Amino acid sequence: MRFLLGTVAVITLLAASTGYVGYRMSCNPALHAAVSKGDTMEWLRTDFHLSNDKFLLVCQLHDSYAGTCDEHCRMIQEATRERDALLAAHADRAALDSANRRIQGLREVCEGSIATHVRRVAELMSPQDGRRYLALVLPRIANFDHTAAPDLRLRHSN
Amino acid sequence: MVPSSDSLSEALHGWQVTPPADPNFRQSVWRRIGKQAGVTWPAYLRTNIAVLSFASIIVLTAAAYGGRALAHKQARADRESIVVTYLVDLDPRIQATLRP
Repeated sequence: MRFLLGTVAVITLLAASTGYVGYRMSCNPALHAAVSKGDTMEWLRTDFHLSNDKFLLVCQLHDSYAGTCDEHCRMIQEATRERDALLAAHADRAALDSANRRIQGLREVCEGSIATHVRRVAELMSPQDGRRYLALVLPRIANFDHTAAPDLRLRHSN
Repeated sequence: MVPSSDSLSEALHGWQVTPPADPNFRQSVWRRIGKQAGVTWPAYLRTNIAVLSFASIIVLTAAAYGGRALAHKQARADRESIVVTYLVDLDPRIQATLRP
């Protein structure tokens, strides 16, 4: 019994070491570090294996898209304010429907714009990484209304 | 009556022994040695080498697989987390909700 327990202890220690080695060999510390810092650009660089040149191009794409994003954001806010004003003024249903359609239209334009932008980013990656990137982001962009988490306000740093 | 040495030689010459193979022969020898000398850990390991090897292979394989699966699970969770942050910065529909 003494030897059995000793043997089991040794096998358990070996198993723990093997599990740790398996974990260390399969984990992605660069990804984890980028996530811990909340650094999305570093995430893109490490997780999608961007070279320095490609990474600079992605940064440029993101910078140039920021203007489009701001413009779309402003238009959606404006349309939403108009709709809210109509609601507050107890406007007729036709006017409210029209305002809601305008917001929806702007959101669809916005969705198309983001999708085009992320496809451009994916083109700078290797085909395999590009597919993986699009598989991560496109469904969330398309399902925005269903996936926008309530805690996004807390996560936003701007 | 004592048989003559010639007939004894003939009988011995023609005598063939075909004992059945005992698969546990080696283990039983070690067990008997262990009983005589007091069982040591190496002797215990030698005696149970087949079972212990099998168990070790199963446990170590499971541990390696478990470590790998844990790392992949963590990477998936990391990506799920960072992609939300990424899209918050990228998506004007979210920005329109967040900005004053």
